Amino acid sequence: MSDIFPRWTNKLPAQIITGALLTGTAVGAAVWYYFTPQYTRVGYQPVQPVAFSHAIHVDQVGMDCRYCHNGVEKSWYSNVPSASTCMNCHNAVLATDPRLELVRESYTTGNPIPWVQVHKTPDYVYFNHAVHVNRGVSCVHCHGQINKMDEVQHAKPLSMSFCLECHRNPAEFIRDPKLVYNLDWQPDDPKAHKDAMLQAVHDWKINSSQNCSACHR
Amino acid sequence: MKTVPPPCPEPETGVRYWRGLDDLAGTPEFRSQLEREFPEGASELSDPSTRRSFMKLMGASVALAGVGLTGCRRPEEKIYPFGKQPEGYTHGVPQYFATAMPTRSGAVPLVAKQHDGRPVKVEGNDRHPDSNGGTDAYVQASILDLYDPDRSRRFLKGGNDVTRVAAIDALTQLAQQSAAKQGAGLAFLTTQGRSPSFDRLVAAARTKLPQAKWFQYESVDFDIHRRGASAATGKNVDPCYRVENAQVILSLDCDLFGREEESARYNRGFAKGRRPQSEHDAMNRLYVAEALLSVTGAAADHRLRLPAGQVFALAAAIAAELLPSGPARDACGAVPKPAGVDAKWIQECAADLAANKGKALVVAGYSQPLAVHVLAHALNAALEATGRTVEYRESSVATTASLPELAAALNGGQVETLVILGGNPVYDAPADLNWSETQRKAKTVIRLGYHEDETTGRSDWHFPAAHYLESWGDARTADGTLVPVQPLIEPLFGGLTALELLARLAGESVVKPYDIVRATFVALGKGTEDDWERFLHDGFREKSAAAAVAAPVDARAVAQAVTSAPKIPVASKDSLEVIFHRDSKIDDGRYANNAWLQELPDPITKMVWDNAVWVSRKTASELGLVNTEIVTLEVGGRQVKAPIWITPGLADHTLALALGYGRRQPGRVACFEDKPVGFNAGAVRAAATPWIAPGARVTGSKVVWKFATTQSHWAMSGRPIVREANLSQYQANTKFAQNFDLESHSEHIAKGPDGNPLPLYKTAYEERPATQQSAINQWGMAIDLSACTGCGACVIACQSENNIPVVGKDQVIRGREMQWMRIDRYFTGYKEGQRNKLISDEDQWKETWIDEPQVVTQPMMCQHCEKAPCESVCPVNATVHDEEGLNIMAYNRCVGTRYCSNNCAWKVRRFNFFDYNKRPNNYGDISQGNLGKLYEGPLAKRGAAELELVKMAKNPEVTVRMRGVMEKCTFCTQRIEATKIARKVKAGASGDVQVTDADGLRTACQQACPAEAIVFGNQLETGSRVNQWKKNARNYTVLGFLDTRPRVTYLAKIRNPNPKMPDFHEVPLSIEEYKQMYHGDPFAAHGAAHGEGHGAAAEAGHATPAKGGAH
Repeated sequence: MSDIFPRWTNKLPAQIITGALLTGTAVGAAVWYYFTPQYTRVGYQPVQPVAFSHAIHVDQVGMDCRYCHNGVEKSWYSNVPSASTCMNCHNAVLATDPRLELVRESYTTGNPIPWVQVHKTPDYVYFNHAVHVNRGVSCVHCHGQINKMDEVQHAKPLSMSFCLECHRNPAEFIRDPKLVYNLDWQPDDPKAHKDAMLQAVHDWKINSSQNCSACHR
Repeated sequence: MKTVPPPCPEPETGVRYWRGLDDLAGTPEFRSQLEREFPEGASELSDPSTRRSFMKLMGASVALAGVGLTGCRRPEEKIYPFGKQPEGYTHGVPQYFATAMPTRSGAVPLVAKQHDGRPVKVEGNDRHPDSNGGTDAYVQASILDLYDPDRSRRFLKGGNDVTRVAAIDALTQLAQQSAAKQGAGLAFLTTQGRSPSFDRLVAAARTKLPQAKWFQYESVDFDIHRRGASAATGKNVDPCYRVENAQVILSLDCDLFGREEESARYNRGFAKGRRPQSEHDAMNRLYVAEALLSVTGAAADHRLRLPAGQVFALAAAIAAELLPSGPARDACGAVPKPAGVDAKWIQECAADLAANKGKALVVAGYSQPLAVHVLAHALNAALEATGRTVEYRESSVATTASLPELAAALNGGQVETLVILGGNPVYDAPADLNWSETQRKAKTVIRLGYHEDETTGRSDWHFPAAHYLESWGDARTADGTLVPVQPLIEPLFGGLTALELLARLAGESVVKPYDIVRATFVALGKGTEDDWERFLHDGFREKSAAAAVAAPVDARAVAQAVTSAPKIPVASKDSLEVIFHRDSKIDDGRYANNAWLQELPDPITKMVWDNAVWVSRKTASELGLVNTEIVTLEVGGRQVKAPIWITPGLADHTLALALGYGRRQPGRVACFEDKPVGFNAGAVRAAATPWIAPGARVTGSKVVWKFATTQSHWAMSGRPIVREANLSQYQANTKFAQNFDLESHSEHIAKGPDGNPLPLYKTAYEERPATQQSAINQWGMAIDLSACTGCGACVIACQSENNIPVVGKDQVIRGREMQWMRIDRYFTGYKEGQRNKLISDEDQWKETWIDEPQVVTQPMMCQHCEKAPCESVCPVNATVHDEEGLNIMAYNRCVGTRYCSNNCAWKVRRFNFFDYNKRPNNYGDISQGNLGKLYEGPLAKRGAAELELVKMAKNPEVTVRMRGVMEKCTFCTQRIEATKIARKVKAGASGDVQVTDADGLRTACQQACPAEAIVFGNQLETGSRVNQWKKNARNYTVLGFLDTRPRVTYLAKIRNPNPKMPDFHEVPLSIEEYKQMYHGDPFAAHGAAHGEGHGAAAEAGHATPAKGGAH
């Protein structure tokens, strides 16, 4: 009796299953990745109505973050400055520059500049800027090197696992609160810094909660 | 046909957005593109032959969009910063402003919290010299009125919209006409209030318009207190009661802690004498004589159940014992003794008052006739109370003609123009005035009102009124201190204040309320700019309290008042007595559209969304009525149909009717689809008998009504949920509270080294203390049941703070109320033979012991058990413990199994069966024939404008929960976090992060409680108040035998009865019940009294509480 199916077909079901599994896993992994903030948020760089460059203001001019974001130490929210803050300098500097037309208009009419929001936590997350910056978490950990950006880009995923990374191991991420706004700062001696910060976690009683109630109410 | 849309008009104000540089430059290509509506190729859609190409195009673009997964990006959101930064404003940091809520007889000083321009919460101003920051439920709920979607938002002329400008022009014209006629034909109808600015404007208007007539009407008239004091003393004085200074208090039908205004002050004063810390502390004593069981009667040490019409006879009998000899005493002696009252009650009560001269206080309630008030003042004078427990201050209020006089003037055709400044007379005027018709006899009726209500339809002009949080104003609190009414927000719908309307009508040059108030402030004292700023900042003017004046009681005036007192016949089965009362939730109907208050359980009956004809058990059985039967009530020739509710502790042959219900307008809460909530008791109320109407009859109909109550079972059935003792027992054994239940057996239970019983299994909390337990903060709460009167302010405060939705009557009937905190009220009564008899909810109204019950109240919320039963059954870890001792809910994890709620012994978890916030809530109920929009799910949408208002009332610091998740008390975790963060921000690079009492952390319920019955704090702070309370010997745990280690503990209630009184009970009735059921005597040393009954009955008794839970 001759074979109806050639011999190689014996392996076919196994091959199909393996292939389907592999493809399924790959597709699953891809979809999974595409739905994480790692993909959906990181790299987000909308065009802002005014071509404001952090690189020029912070890196070249040397301004402190808190000149504009002056609510960051007091509020849960780090404010976007009002046009009047801009005009403190720009009524003298580049006073007639067309790129600043919208700022001048906002200042005179009181109508807001529609900045596009880049960083945002979900509504059920109650993130507080004040407590982080006052206790030694630098802007750079969540926002990246803003001081080098011409147009602000979403640098970190800001997902829950991202938050927990630090909350589980705060010593790795904190620094002297005086250095919080220095985005370029690197410890001279990483080992000594780490030891000092381990001590600080103890001394400052840093109790970075990993419980739901820390961020969700 | 393709219609070319007009180009989008650029807003006149606001930023000009451009869609690209082409738009900015306005290039012709861009313009043509705009006019084309669709890009090239798309408009071929209308041509059938090119539909294929359209499909191709669209398919390709969908595929492109899909590949890029751009849809996964969040929608673009904008940040709109200020053009010019306002001074002192930081986005995200709430601001607080001192203001005050005006009431009829004064004002409640407040601090209102504002989030980004919208007020979200009010608290009492504890800096005010006569406030501890506690408030009542009305005040807490007033914030919801601001965002009432049914608020009046239009100016109306003859029912048609007019512009604000046109309406104000009409006012100006009227002012000119009136001035020309010196006010002839003009009549003003005002409400009661204590605003110096308003008084000043009225005085000015009286001079400018000398012919104008002034009338005043309040459905619930608290001015009787002033009239009573004035009649007794012959001077125009306001009495101010200092309950805190009183050792013995006699209330003559005066609901000090509930229905009286200033109840928060009285609660605070009373609680001061009710919290013994050790066996050496003295307590005050409260006698109450009343018909309807009120929270005051519930708190009383001795309560005399007495028909309201007999209170005068009781007052006279006590006065006959205590007044100095003279005409007053003689007149009192001539008054017949109150029917059915034990003479010993009167003698001993009088003797106790007499023994506490200078520390005694007698108060009469607003619903009692003038003679009772006069007698109360005479008694106070005889008891040397003046200047100690009662102060008299010169009053700024003059007796004004009332509604009957206005009706006479209207009927006589003397009124051409009637100006109604606030109030809703068409709804709440006495029925015999036929006000709806009478009002129309004026040619023009101008009306300022908060809602488009019953009166609006009978007026020519309707002006929307501003909420007090939108208005400039001023007021005087009960002690005479001047307080500002400061707006936190511009009027949402352009409302006017009474000040502005009056100023315009009087033709004043200054019409802006701010300027009016400012001018009054200057006129009342020198008032520099600094003083003004201080005044607004502090919320009161320092040392502006009026000095107390000497006001000796005139014995002849008292005698005259007593002899001319109305004779009220003794009620009987055939001639019942109707008593009306201010509703403990919606007042006289002014809060009928406030859903929080409608859903606040009545403190005694626990009824929501309804009023009823309250009757006693005996009366009902005599008349052959069953509970909830609908009856026809007839009194004074008028009828009303209403259901009855059998109420424990109510005087026999009395029908108690709450005012304020049965409103047909406005629509969404007080009335739905023409089916009002409750019935209008005003339909049988006559001007001559506003409070006590004798000669009523009821006829049953054999039809029953469905009521919604939040606590269907009345009795504790001997379970030691609330533990109490008389003062003498407490003094003998301060630790009695630990001698109940299984705790009293604890010597038989194996214990760990910490003295606690050994648990059956270890929780994560115990297994990993190092990682699970913070060494900095551990939260705990203690509640003093001795201070709590059950007024309900905390319940509303919690609702306001935590964005708790309202569910409606039908849902409450199904047991789905959402309030995180409830006040359990138990009636306790002991009867021989009742032993081990559990009464069903349906039959409890037939029990005879409910006639004279004792009452206990207990605030109940999540107990935050360290070993929480709810946590171990959650399949998704949605409810877990945090390291600071909070039992927390992660809403995003919750899948709604409700296992946790099932496993909670205190029944404090609440489940969102619907999206209560998103649905157009139908607060009616199924028994009225509508199933409700809730059941339509997403098909029923709340109107966008309404939703916006609903959103504005929400606290942005708390998540608004959606359908399908469980929720419960969080110990105000948002406040805890805010305090912790403030502490850490201050600490910076240091370890000073422990939260202490000095940080001012208070939960919403704690802050609202005028009696300071709740304390919350950090148990790791050695000296914290919560620790001190928990060390108190009275401290105990509810259902402690479950050993779940709740963080909420209770301090046992202590009563202070007088052993000489005829109604003295050796032990509180709940203890008598407990002894009967459990055979244990908590006051005896353990063992001695316990041996008797360790039989089967006792064992069964022990099992009961676990099954029954807290209900």
